[in-house]
Amino acid sequence: MQQSIDTHAGNAIAHTHARTNPVLVYAILAIFTLLEVTITVTGGLPRQTLIPLLLAISFVKASLVALYYMHLRYEKAIYGIVFIIPAAFAVFLITVLLSG
Amino acid sequence: MNQAPVLSSAKVSAHSESHINRKFGFWLFLSSELLIFCGLIGGFLVTKHYAATWPTQQQLSLWLASLNTFLLLTSSLTVVLGIENIQTNKQRSLALFLLVSALLGFLFLCGQAYEYQHLIFTEKFGFGDPFGTAFFILTGLHGLHVFVGVLWAITVALRARRGTYSSTNYTTVEMFGLYWHFVDLVWILIFTIVYLI
Repeated sequence: MQQSIDTHAGNAIAHTHARTNPVLVYAILAIFTLLEVTITVTGGLPRQTLIPLLLAISFVKASLVALYYMHLRYEKAIYGIVFIIPAAFAVFLITVLLSG
Repeated sequence: MNQAPVLSSAKVSAHSESHINRKFGFWLFLSSELLIFCGLIGGFLVTKHYAATWPTQQQLSLWLASLNTFLLLTSSLTVVLGIENIQTNKQRSLALFLLVSALLGFLFLCGQAYEYQHLIFTEKFGFGDPFGTAFFILTGLHGLHVFVGVLWAITVALRARRGTYSSTNYTTVEMFGLYWHFVDLVWILIFTIVYLI
């Protein structure tokens, strides 16, 4: 009984907000993925434009997963901070290596 | 007379704190995992920069990687739907959604296995060349995470069928969800960097 009470108290923190429809998030992720593949396969864009564009789409997709599927948008700020620091490092490293 | 509610309230508070601590610990774990993948992605990009030969997108089976991406994205959706179901006490629906997620994860692994055999036996890439080393370590570690996730999903689904979870007790399901979405998030980056760029 105590177990039930405890987890409810914890989960309540994360689940009191109105959530974004997960199917909508999935549809956006799928559209972005199709867009990425189409842009790459058609090959109409120069590499200087293609790489930043693909990276931007990828980062947007990853952010959508973190914010809406991992619920970072609704969670305590500390979880976000803990995750955003290495994520920012990852973005920085990938951007620097690809621009070199 | 007044002591019982006070003790109960204290216990509830302690349990709630335990839940928050577990979750915080799990986020720390995911952050450290992200740094590991970040290092491997960095290594992959540096290797690509200096490698004399690198496979084309056709050799890398872009269509298969795209299919695998859709499998993982769909599995993330089914995990979210499963968690939404347990929030309304639908344990069987949770179990069903998690089993679908596990199946999608398994199909992803089958796709990856096919891709590996194609690269090794048809395209003749192995651990001996720079591409093979960077590619197999990065995607292999991710595949290992998917494998662990599949096992975890099956375990949670079986426990859900036995009635272990409820709308007030689903911290483990939530942790699994975080793990699975993290694996999806990492694949989103790998897909772009390895297959598209």
